[in-house]
Amino acid sequence: MANIKVMAASVFALGLTLLAGTASAGTLEDVKARGELIVGVKNDYAPYGFLNEKGEIVGFEVDLAKYVAKELLGSEDKIELVPVVASNRIEFLTAGRIDAIFATLGVTPERAKVVDFSTYYISAAGASVLAPNASKLAKWEDLKGQTVCGIQGSYYNKKLTEEFGATLVAFKAQPEAFRALKDNRCVGFAFDDMTLQKKLEEADWSDYKIAIKPYEYIPQAAGLRQGDDAFRKAVDAAINKAEGEGKLIEWETKYGMPHSEYIADRAKAAAKK
Amino acid sequence: MFGLDYSWLADPAYQHWLLIGVLNTLELAAIASCAAMLIGLLGALGLTLRIFWLEALIELFVEVFRNTPPLLQMLFAYFTLSTLGLRTTDPVTGMQVPLLSAMSCAAISLSLFGGALAIEAFRSGIETMPRAIVEAARSLGYSRWGRFWRVEAPIALRICLPGLTNILTNLFKTTSQASVITVPELMYYAGQIYNDTFRTLEVMLMVLLIYVTLASIITFALSRLERLMAFPGYGKGN
Repeated sequence: MANIKVMAASVFALGLTLLAGTASAGTLEDVKARGELIVGVKNDYAPYGFLNEKGEIVGFEVDLAKYVAKELLGSEDKIELVPVVASNRIEFLTAGRIDAIFATLGVTPERAKVVDFSTYYISAAGASVLAPNASKLAKWEDLKGQTVCGIQGSYYNKKLTEEFGATLVAFKAQPEAFRALKDNRCVGFAFDDMTLQKKLEEADWSDYKIAIKPYEYIPQAAGLRQGDDAFRKAVDAAINKAEGEGKLIEWETKYGMPHSEYIADRAKAAAKK
Repeated sequence: MFGLDYSWLADPAYQHWLLIGVLNTLELAAIASCAAMLIGLLGALGLTLRIFWLEALIELFVEVFRNTPPLLQMLFAYFTLSTLGLRTTDPVTGMQVPLLSAMSCAAISLSLFGGALAIEAFRSGIETMPRAIVEAARSLGYSRWGRFWRVEAPIALRICLPGLTNILTNLFKTTSQASVITVPELMYYAGQIYNDTFRTLEVMLMVLLIYVTLASIITFALSRLERLMAFPGYGKGN
């Protein structure tokens, strides 16, 4: 009998633990009480979030996150930057280890089921394919039956294999995938267009080109816990203010990104308000 | 129950991935286990020959492969060997491509890792054998080879079976590390599925269950084998 009680109690406790992830609310109050905004950012993903020579995390989205911290807490130093990767960022957020994701988070319907998005601040190209200059690849359909390098957890991996019929060899991180491409383990590397474009600027990648152009552009936004409306509104207001002040255009210049129409349009719209 | 959502399992792509993942895990484990046992037997046999340089060579092999993480060995085999010149020319494209596929790299490093452990296990089996038995075999006129094959090996095998069970289950679980060098085994696909669906807990539970089930089958089979092979004084049971 006692055993059954213990079992029921532990089942109940387990249920509570599983629910806890979704039940917390009021990130805005938490952040203000803590005096620090904890943000998940990339540290291997120029220009959005990467390490500079001094080993500090900098980048477009890092500046944006700091701006949000300044708006919420009065100083852009009241921020803790937590390096995340694509495969753990949403877990970090839902588990409460970070307050927001500013880490190249594309807006997709699947993600919208588990996180709330802030206002969209970038329209990023999806995947393209990097291949040697001699490559005859030109369109996505050409990948049928070909071995293509990729990164584990990329959202377009399923499309690559199931729709375009590519044989995907997916690595944990980018350096391995770039190495594998150089070793000719694959005919091309399918990954986020911005990263591949940046890679092409490096001297030892001059024999390579973007062989296949992105098949889609998707907006990028900050990821926030679901139903946390007060916090979302505060973050949106901060982002809109930064857009209105032309900050995002400044950061594009600062990090050597091509100036996008999307950001210019949003800056104009925000300035009018 | 508990808000677990397994609706992703209905997707034929994910079903296919899980199936392929399990098959590749089993294939890798099977190849590595057989090769490791073979390496273990040959190595232990080599050690009984008491040839100085051979002994040193086997000791070196054991030290190197037992004392380095299999993950490192796989990465080394996958990335470094081709840079060092282990390449071949692709007949279709005429490009220089690495000779070893991801699966071969994983199979080789797991075999060597498991083999190093197996040599030690077999050796301990041989070394703990009562001297009296060896001497008895010797006085009956067995040749060196005959003594190993008919007396030492059968007894040693029974002594070290529990140890081998550990090595083989460990080897089976270590196959999950091959996902790092893109071997499409169970963990590789599990990662992609929970990245697509964000059902981390559900996918992990499922994969956990698959690993537990498969590993249990291995340990059960080996304990049955132990029982079957037991003879008075050595092995499980009577």
